[in-house]
Amino acid sequence: MFRGSELFTESLAELAGYVPVTLFYFLVPTAVSFVLGWILCLIRSGKKNVLYYIASVFVSFFRGTPGLVQIYLCFFGLPQLFDLFGVDINSWDAGIFYIIATCCNFSSFVSEAFRSGCKAIDPGQIDAGYSIGYSRSQCFFHVIMPQAMEIALPNLKNLEIDLLKGTAVAYVIGVTDIMGRANQIINHHKGYGQIWILLAAAILYFLINVLVEIVFSLISSHNKKYRRAAA
Amino acid sequence: MNLNYAFMLKDIPVVLSALPLTLALTVISMALALLLAGLMGACRLKRIPVLSQVIVVFNTFIKGVPLVVQLLLCYYGIPLILKSMDGFLGYTFDPKNQSYFAFACVAFAFNYGAYMTDMVITSYEGVDPGQSEAAASVGMTRSQTLTCIIIPQMIVIALPNISNYFMWLFKATSLASIVNVFELLSVARASTADNYAILEGYLIAAGIYWIICIVVERLLNSLNRKLTSHDRRPSVAAVTEKVQVS
Repeated sequence: MFRGSELFTESLAELAGYVPVTLFYFLVPTAVSFVLGWILCLIRSGKKNVLYYIASVFVSFFRGTPGLVQIYLCFFGLPQLFDLFGVDINSWDAGIFYIIATCCNFSSFVSEAFRSGCKAIDPGQIDAGYSIGYSRSQCFFHVIMPQAMEIALPNLKNLEIDLLKGTAVAYVIGVTDIMGRANQIINHHKGYGQIWILLAAAILYFLINVLVEIVFSLISSHNKKYRRAAA
Repeated sequence: MNLNYAFMLKDIPVVLSALPLTLALTVISMALALLLAGLMGACRLKRIPVLSQVIVVFNTFIKGVPLVVQLLLCYYGIPLILKSMDGFLGYTFDPKNQSYFAFACVAFAFNYGAYMTDMVITSYEGVDPGQSEAAASVGMTRSQTLTCIIIPQMIVIALPNISNYFMWLFKATSLASIVNVFELLSVARASTADNYAILEGYLIAAGIYWIICIVVERLLNSLNRKLTSHDRRPSVAAVTEKVQVS
């Protein structure tokens, strides 16, 4: 038991150094999905042309298959796809493949959250925007987007937390984040004390999650100031 | 892309043969998770002193930790517990013959049980208190009220959530391939071991997951519509439709 707790503190210190890596794999897909999610949302709420059907199949695929399968597909499929154009990407870091897969997956989920947010906006708001002479894009950026984001916020929070926890899966293709490093330490110790190493990783993930939760509650309390009291 | 199409066709039945195990893993974990959620929700609703606080802390921790970590914790931890129980009540621990399927079930059940505890509580509070008063007024006992009046209504309220969690769980079972469970994804990988057609195997797995997801989602939606069709209260969808019309 004593050696176990020693192993725990040792691996906690070691794994804490990999928190920035996990944060990187969390923040990059968040930023990309914000843009890609809005593009998908706009395409899917527009006219039913070819683009609409392509986007729908894209969203359906990435929502309907497990993230793990998508990571494997990117990891093994993209090098073959790029090979067609004579580009060799086999030397790319595994993290890049993870980020590509996760961006596609996460923006599909985020686009659905945005879409339900857009649907919940009072149509009068958009009319009001046009009536004071906003162009279509001005109306989108100043009227639709902020309100849809606010409505989608609780949904987004859950998705972001899922994304953060999903980064732990990246170790299966050899990404060295918190979980990847924990797996390496487990392999070093050959069948001894895995529980303690995993508990250290679990605590780190939990603390990052608490941080994300705090950020979101700050955003929502900031938004609350501008909300009119319900009539 | 030069995919091995002949192999892909041949591989489909092989990968499909693992589908029953994946579905069993999903259904058993879901049933266990519902049971756990019911028990934990009851403890929290009854405000049992120490137990309900312990449940809150435990659930918060589970929700903050990745599922992979929990699966691995069960994978490494449960054998230790079983080992210490060796010889207890005639149980013998056999390290060579462990049920990784059961370990994965435990991890999934606790993870989804934690999420569904909140669902149980909100759906219990969603049932009109007048319903249990009415049941008491016609002389039903406490347990009759619960099983005949409250729980059926709770199920109707919670069904959209339950079907969401079911879909999530179905997709999450692919993670069990990491902990030695031979479900769809690991069978897809193993079936390609002869000719290194790994991508083809994963493509088939992805296709099967996608199709099953769409079919199950349709089924659950129609079940949901059937159950809410005779509901006298206006559903959320109906209310929003009215708003749009007016």
